[in-house]
Amino acid sequence: MSDRVFGSSSAATGMDGAIAKAVRQSLCHLPGVDDAGASYLVNVLSDISILSLIALSSYVLLLSGRVSFGQQAYFGLGAYGSAVGTVLFGWSLPLALVFGIACGAFCAYFLALITRPLSGLYFAVASLAFAEMLRLALSSWHWQVDRGGGPVGPAGLEGFRSIRWLYENNVAPEVFLLICLALLGAVLIGQMLLERRRIGMSIRMIGYDEVLAAAQGLPVDRLRLFAATLSGGLAAIAGGLYAHRTTYVEASLFDPMLGVHALGYALLGGLGTALGPLLGVALDLGLLDASRLVDGWRMVIFGGLIAIILRVRPRGLLDESLVNSTQRRARHIVGRLRCLISPHRDLDAQSSRDAIVPGSIRKS
Amino acid sequence: MFEWIQTSIDGIVDGAIYALIGLGLSLSYSSLRRLNLAYGAIAMLAAYCGAWVAFQGEISMVLIALIVIGVAGLIGLYVEQLCFAKPLQVSGRIDNASVTADAGIDQRDLVALASSFAIWMQLEQLAINMLPRHMNAFPAFDADATVLLPLMGEQLILRLDRLTVAVLSIMLITVIHRLIKGSRVGLAWRAIAEHRMASHLMGISVDRFQTVIFILLSSLSGFTAFLILAIEGQVTAMFGMWMLLKGLTAAMLGGLGSVLGVMTGGLMLGLTEAWAQVFFGAIGREFAVYALLFLTLTLRSGLAARRKEQHFDRRVVPR
Repeated sequence: MSDRVFGSSSAATGMDGAIAKAVRQSLCHLPGVDDAGASYLVNVLSDISILSLIALSSYVLLLSGRVSFGQQAYFGLGAYGSAVGTVLFGWSLPLALVFGIACGAFCAYFLALITRPLSGLYFAVASLAFAEMLRLALSSWHWQVDRGGGPVGPAGLEGFRSIRWLYENNVAPEVFLLICLALLGAVLIGQMLLERRRIGMSIRMIGYDEVLAAAQGLPVDRLRLFAATLSGGLAAIAGGLYAHRTTYVEASLFDPMLGVHALGYALLGGLGTALGPLLGVALDLGLLDASRLVDGWRMVIFGGLIAIILRVRPRGLLDESLVNSTQRRARHIVGRLRCLISPHRDLDAQSSRDAIVPGSIRKS
Repeated sequence: MFEWIQTSIDGIVDGAIYALIGLGLSLSYSSLRRLNLAYGAIAMLAAYCGAWVAFQGEISMVLIALIVIGVAGLIGLYVEQLCFAKPLQVSGRIDNASVTADAGIDQRDLVALASSFAIWMQLEQLAINMLPRHMNAFPAFDADATVLLPLMGEQLILRLDRLTVAVLSIMLITVIHRLIKGSRVGLAWRAIAEHRMASHLMGISVDRFQTVIFILLSSLSGFTAFLILAIEGQVTAMFGMWMLLKGLTAAMLGGLGSVLGVMTGGLMLGLTEAWAQVFFGAIGREFAVYALLFLTLTLRSGLAARRKEQHFDRRVVPR
């Protein structure tokens, strides 16, 4: 599919061509991967990184204690927004992505603002209704402009065709994979840094108990708005990348299934660390590949597996207690190593620092 | 004027059916305090079993209805045990109920939501594996039987099967309403919805009661699915999602947990759909429904939220 769309990677020239070749060769060095396998791997990895971004957006909202069935709306907005940027305005991809992110984040902010008083299930259903309204609006949006060789732009139910920025600028799938991975990495690092800071901890605290958090003097509403805006932006990045990868989007792609899947990935992977959603996506897509033998029964097995895992580990695979104990152990080892290197270092100071582990909020 | 009446009657008939869909979802929410996302999928898989049986040979409609109801109950038992029954092992920190209970969605709610979604996917895949075709025939009522009512020189056209189902669903809702308000079982149900711990202390075996209620409501959803599909004459795997969305909308519009609220919500939904179809076409119809739901939730912060705790009056002693 992507070979047809992007042209073969040999079409790429110059610097990009060299990078593409390098990526492809390094993939071929993996055990059991030939040339066709490498293209396949490039596709799967791009899919995983795009889905991980939208799973991360669900995760951020979950941290603040809100369940949303509507993340697909921001994904769609990001896709349409950035596609309008490159196709209709003739911008470059980074600028268009920023535009898409702004669209998604603004919409998420707006929704969070008017649904402030709603709690729990009512917010979830309101976000679903909002996303569906947006999907229907996008599916009847016509804005066709002639750009040499036929009209382009969103055409109602037919969708938004020929988003060909990557093709026109000779970006090979391998290079695009690197772009996706870089963005995902940046988001992950940013999210992890955020969670170690006061604001991230406060958001997590609201998720545990909002009344208690308010009693501690935290600005619950404002922090929630921040988390919602952030999650809208994250989903929009995923949408923009997706639109340019497939060169074609239509509103029916953003149905509730996408949003509910994102939610499922985040919950399965675990709410302890930003790596959780990644694990969820990798498990699903990985299992899809691994279980070609059980073709057609994949969802039967996977669905049952999720239900059983969640019964035993209600906060997902990488939950807070696992993350905290791992961190503590890692710190312990690091401390030991430091003592080995410089024996005069005060051991007591080290162990007293261990007692307060960043990222842990204990509920007694 | 004539078309106005015809459209409204169509809307009301649809609305009564939506109310029946919403009833099961709403009642299971009021007893569990958690949303069952697999609600539509349970009914859909049971209906697929019915379609499969009907495919095997000439079997009477009543038998198929019984099969669908029974299978739905069995699947309900499976879902309840896996997603909603007490977790096998919950680490201490999470087991602590929120200090300010009911403030938002707590951990157990999230888990039930996610695992019932996973089960939804599982059931859908099972149904597709059973009957791989996109659209499958379902034994239908006689679609040609119509009632013609002369009115103002023209004739109102009413399909007999739709009308029967609508009347049946209103009767069912009324009966269930009476049962909850006036029987001892209904009293126990209300007590559990009000306060689990207190009802446990009063000697109600909460867990077993919830299991039984869940199975009964799943059977009810199977029956609803049977009625709807017998009108349509065909079933697809998307039916589960359709049923969940319509039920959720009807239940939310009227207020989750309230029996008569679901009735109102279903009628609102049916009428809105019928009228939006006339004015704005197919996409406009869907849009109007979601807009109505969204506005109800945000502006009135529901009809729903305000009625939330009103599903039972405070009259404790049943007749």
